[in-house]
Amino acid sequence: MKRILATAITLAIGCAALASNAHASPLPAGWTCTPALCGAPQGKPIVEQLLPPPEVPAPITRHYPAKVIVNLEAREVVGTLADGVKYDFYTFNGTVPGPMIRVRVGDTVEIRLKNAHSDHMPHNIDLHAVMGTGGGAANSIVIPGHEGAFEFKALHAGFFVYHCAMAPAAVHIANGMYGAIMVEPADGLPKVDKEFYVMQGEFYTQGAYMQPGLQSLDMTKLLDEQPTYVVFNGRVGSLTGEHALHAKEGQTVRFFFANGGPNLTSSFHMIGGIWNTVWPWGGSNEDHNVQTISVPPGGAVIADMKLVVPGTFMLVDHAAVRMFNKGALGQLVVSGPEQPTLYRALWNRPFAPAGAMPAAASSAH
Amino acid sequence: MRSMIVLLCGTLLGACTLVAAAASAPSSLPATSIYRIPPLTLMNQNGQTFTFASLAGKPRLLGMFYASCQMACPVEIETLKQVEHQVVKAGGQPIPVLLVTFDPAHDDLAALKKAAAQHHVSAPEFQLSRALSGDIGMLGGVLGVSWRPLPGGGFQHNVVVALLDRAGRIIATDPANGRADPAFVAAIVREERAAH
Amino acid sequence: MLRALMGLLLLAALMPRPAPADAAAPRFVTVPGGQLVSSLLDGTRTVTVQMAPFAMLEEPVTEAQFAAFLRAHPEWQRGHIAVLFAGPNYLASWLTPTDPGDAQAARRPVTDVSWFAARAYCDSLQAELPSWYQWEYAAAASSSNRDARANMARRNAILAALMHVTGQRPGLIGQRPANVYGLRDLNRLIWEWVSDYGAMFPDVNGDVGSAGSGSVLRLCGGAALAFRDPSDYALAERVAALSMLAPADSSPFVGFRCVRKPGDSP
Ligand SMILES: [Cu+2]
Repeated sequence: MKRILATAITLAIGCAALASNAHASPLPAGWTCTPALCGAPQGKPIVEQLLPPPEVPAPITRHYPAKVIVNLEAREVVGTLADGVKYDFYTFNGTVPGPMIRVRVGDTVEIRLKNAHSDHMPHNIDLHAVMGTGGGAANSIVIPGHEGAFEFKALHAGFFVYHCAMAPAAVHIANGMYGAIMVEPADGLPKVDKEFYVMQGEFYTQGAYMQPGLQSLDMTKLLDEQPTYVVFNGRVGSLTGEHALHAKEGQTVRFFFANGGPNLTSSFHMIGGIWNTVWPWGGSNEDHNVQTISVPPGGAVIADMKLVVPGTFMLVDHAAVRMFNKGALGQLVVSGPEQPTLYRALWNRPFAPAGAMPAAASSAH
Repeated sequence: MRSMIVLLCGTLLGACTLVAAAASAPSSLPATSIYRIPPLTLMNQNGQTFTFASLAGKPRLLGMFYASCQMACPVEIETLKQVEHQVVKAGGQPIPVLLVTFDPAHDDLAALKKAAAQHHVSAPEFQLSRALSGDIGMLGGVLGVSWRPLPGGGFQHNVVVALLDRAGRIIATDPANGRADPAFVAAIVREERAAH
Repeated sequence: MLRALMGLLLLAALMPRPAPADAAAPRFVTVPGGQLVSSLLDGTRTVTVQMAPFAMLEEPVTEAQFAAFLRAHPEWQRGHIAVLFAGPNYLASWLTPTDPGDAQAARRPVTDVSWFAARAYCDSLQAELPSWYQWEYAAAASSSNRDARANMARRNAILAALMHVTGQRPGLIGQRPANVYGLRDLNRLIWEWVSDYGAMFPDVNGDVGSAGSGSVLRLCGGAALAFRDPSDYALAERVAALSMLAPADSSPFVGFRCVRKPGDSP
């Protein structure tokens, strides 16, 4: 009986996956491998072009599964956490977050991980896009001066976090060792005008917020989950001022937003905007007209917004202390003509205290 | 680690010939030969003494053990007896086995004799031995065997049995954990044929 | 010709050579016996060890000391060492096989040496690598306390020191006070080889993983099961760094020191 039921369910799921216009299907077409979608890799192996955040690799236009090679390097570097504040980061490819990877569902992905000669620690990589022990972590541990590789089939489309899982993992993640991978559905995501890649993460320093100099990890703060910094893309000011993101009115922008953690759930919000379309959890379901998205550590979201008015929009973790006092703030500057029918200023003026009769009103009697 | 040693031997084989031989190692041995470890003098359950390097010349199985071991080592020895049996069944010759104790403080000649009698194994085909001089840590290191004395007695340790070719290169390894692995047996038969 | 050259080499190796002036003679310090509650669990059980007294090198072995050893034992030099005992990174940063090319060689701990080479060095002093328990017991002591491991400020400082990655080479020996036994630089400078590092953790089957396998540490959460106090991150980092190494591997932050029976002449 159980078996029959299971078979029925499998068939049902299979049918749903194949039906092109299945309404509100739990498995939308093209988001999960089927034999038709995910055959043997075709064509020449593709070496993934990796870009520093907030840049996003170009959308995939291929309509067949390929072999994709991703070259990552674990690097322990002294970097800038805020103006005048240095920190010993653990990174993938020297940036926090590590570069965004973009593949297609059904692709065979070869992850190559080098560990720089000058590093102290062994490192590895656990990709949440992987079905396999430790997400690859068990087969990618590399000591300094070594390199390792493993391969996986991208069975499920979605936007996924990757991170170092080397013991003690909390330390490696707290030092910035994470990134994200987009596994595109077979027909890709809807086209947008601009795409950005942003990851949130916390830092636990011995010095207070913005205390200058080389700061070290504070173990007690980490254990208590009391970060000194909560930032986007590895530093205070990574997306503000001269680093602000730019777009034009009328454009639709897409944020690939993920949370490295290690501990805090982000309340991802754009001040002055409503997300037209989001793929909560980075999965296949779409949701619309969303204000704030909960993104847990080791979780991600894809969020689209059509920009209809000009202005400076603030990208924040809406947990307010984090945006005001810990650095979780970015800017999207939208240029274009004012749209007074959509949004305009009316007045800003003093008004009389309650109880006092306005002069104009009394004279009318 | 097990695979790493094999990998090391495999990938570096080309480079090996370029590496000058250490002064103490017999110059005829390849650079990845396990017989190149610093000199080790052993004594077997019959009280016969020999140098480790003198064992070069024949394929053999090499492992480590200790006599008062309750579980892993008896299983190791019994597994190796099964392996021998399977090798013969597959048309091969009984392959000589050497086990070296990592508990020389307790495993004297009497202990070795007793263990050999318990398991019905006899030298020279199946030797249980202890080091009289030299560093067995080096042997464990190249073999991939690690051990740590526990405060309550006994050892925390692993089991690796290596198939060595005539020159002492590690051809295959096995955890000797109760089952004669057909792939390991086949590797032994292949190596014996190649050695002829 | 080759034979003559080899002979010459052998002769050179046998000739007594004075250690260069900058290589201080290694000095052993006696560590009294006592009780150690280990940070490593045996399965799920806490392990208490009765430690016998031992003598330990006051400082990590320096580049200059190791260079002197290599001059006396050419078979352990880069280029001569058997491939079973060292990988391509072995002393790779040295100027020549016997010269670290470092003006501070007398005060810098030697690193980039394999477990085999470290073992051979200790053997040349009629000593050996410490066991994990010996290292842990010695390193538990601060300048005022025989077991300072519970001190959170100290843990934090140790972790912070280990995280700094400002240079390719580790810092210099002797920048901090010795501990109560007179030992220096056990915690904050480098990781150190121990004799039984390969057998520190049982793997998922309860069996011991072989050296370099990392066994339970391979998985993110696994490490939490291995330590008595999983929040001692500095210790976890050290153990992780060591347990991933095969004995022929070397790392720019792994050095060593030796131990022997107490009372042997220095
Ligand atoms: Cu890492």
